Amino acid sequence: MNDTLLWYTTRGAGAVTLLLLTASVALGVLTTRRWSPSGWPRFLVAGLHRNLALLTLVFLGLHILTAVVDPFTHLGWTAAVIPFASSYRPVWLGLGTIAAELLLAVVVTSLLRGVFGYAAWRAIHWLTYASWPVALIHGLGTGTDSGSAWLRVLDVACLVAVLVAVGARLWLKPSDPLAGARGRFREAVERPLGP
Amino acid sequence: MRAARLFSGPELGAGPESFHDHRRRLGPAPAGSRDLIATLERSGLRGRGGGAFPVATKWRAVAKRSRGTAVVLANGAEGEPLSWKDRVLMAVRPHLVLDGAFMAASTVGAAQVLLYVGEEHRTAAAAMSRALAERPEPERSIARLLASPNRYVAGEESAAVHFVNSGVATPTTVPPRPYERGVDGRATLVQNVESLAQVALAGRFGDEWYRSAGIDGQGTLLLSLSGAVAAPGVMEVETGTTVGEAVAEAGGSSEPPRAVLLGGYFGTWVDASQAWAMPLETSRLKALGLSLGTGVVSILPDRACGVCETARMMQYLAGESAAQCGPCFFGLRALADACTGIAEGRSGPAELQRLQRWSSQVRGRGACRHPDGAVGFLQSALQVFWHEFQHHRAHGIQRVA
Repeated sequence: MNDTLLWYTTRGAGAVTLLLLTASVALGVLTTRRWSPSGWPRFLVAGLHRNLALLTLVFLGLHILTAVVDPFTHLGWTAAVIPFASSYRPVWLGLGTIAAELLLAVVVTSLLRGVFGYAAWRAIHWLTYASWPVALIHGLGTGTDSGSAWLRVLDVACLVAVLVAVGARLWLKPSDPLAGARGRFREAVERPLGP
Repeated sequence: MRAARLFSGPELGAGPESFHDHRRRLGPAPAGSRDLIATLERSGLRGRGGGAFPVATKWRAVAKRSRGTAVVLANGAEGEPLSWKDRVLMAVRPHLVLDGAFMAASTVGAAQVLLYVGEEHRTAAAAMSRALAERPEPERSIARLLASPNRYVAGEESAAVHFVNSGVATPTTVPPRPYERGVDGRATLVQNVESLAQVALAGRFGDEWYRSAGIDGQGTLLLSLSGAVAAPGVMEVETGTTVGEAVAEAGGSSEPPRAVLLGGYFGTWVDASQAWAMPLETSRLKALGLSLGTGVVSILPDRACGVCETARMMQYLAGESAAQCGPCFFGLRALADACTGIAEGRSGPAELQRLQRWSSQVRGRGACRHPDGAVGFLQSALQVFWHEFQHHRAHGIQRVA
């Protein structure tokens, strides 16, 4: 296979991964306040969040695979698994490895949520907040395109998207249509705990 | 056929049997042990709270995780509106329930026994409380009586555990199931009070004795009989007794029957002509797509209206949703309102298709099985009362109440 083609694929897949991951993260953050575009049922948002995350893994796989087999950088499989083990830009690549592994943990536990239980799944899902910025920094710090204007624009757009979503999660109250009914039911079944 | 195992001994009208009389009649309860689980396994005893889960399997699962700190929760919440058997049992034979609970505690290695009794079941709660005071130490000090809120879902096992842990009797997502992580995070055995009373006898007299009654050796069973029977009430029968035989034991039908509700509000309507020969036994009913539930057999008389009755029961079930899951809260409300619309003659047969479509969309979409039970009940109503549902506009003209 053409080395140049591999290198272009690595870069392209990396950028696409960032886009998909950002979209999935933003939707995931927004689902906590039950947001959906008008005319969309909420399960569509949840489904899109899930499918974007799975698609992210596909492009992430492509990104890692083409980077590892590229003869120019000699990354090797160790660097793809163990952070900071590569001889080529160890810090920036290591961040990429960490982000990828965190994301893998998040997706795998989501697929096996029934096995882990809700609380454990939720705790691990919070790792996304670690994975996403590390991935962004990995993209900013390394790569042939990191200085180019189009990637800068992409990075800033991704940053703004997630910040807006997190801001909405923090500042706006969730609109739970069941809150009132649930509160009334709970009041009806609630008893002070005995000694 | 009527039987007397749980209800053998003094007249039921005489009130709770004292510990002294109970011990003199049946002898001391054997201590719990691994052998008891094997005995229960050979007996084939299944839970009597509605799930019909094998008792031995549950006990083994708790024993495996226990390390001496497990919890036994005797479930006498009995929120099912057509069931009385648990409160009658607790009111007349409280020591059978306690024997079973303490045998369970020593078998699975539990340090705590909780008696979860419906707060409205005052006679039962008083009998259990007095019975507990008669027990020797250390039994008395490891057991505690709790009043469960009078709501349908409060007796669901995760709701019971949630109530003990946080004071709120709403179901929680499973897993983890109570046998894995229940009260205070400990392995918890949640067992219906009738199941425990059956254990008290099977543990004393052995599995061969247990299997000497009932179809396929399934022992005896408590029924709550209601509706168009001469003498409604709670009755102990051999498992496998047919609906017709049970009704005959209760003095026969008081008027011509139209349909039978088997299993309670989570159960199924069956046309009376088919129901009469049906044996009341879990696996046989299961083969017919039915369930024994908590042992409810309720006879709808011919002059009553299945549509109106179904609408009323659906309204009740919709009102009992804990409002935790959207499909249950909104779905059951929509289904109940559609039924009521048909019952009141406000909507026509077109609504029936919506009812069937919505039913399939609600199933399996709750944290607990509340929506599934309600939808199963509704679908049986649509089947048995299909003609009535289709022509219900004519109600009041054809039928005179």
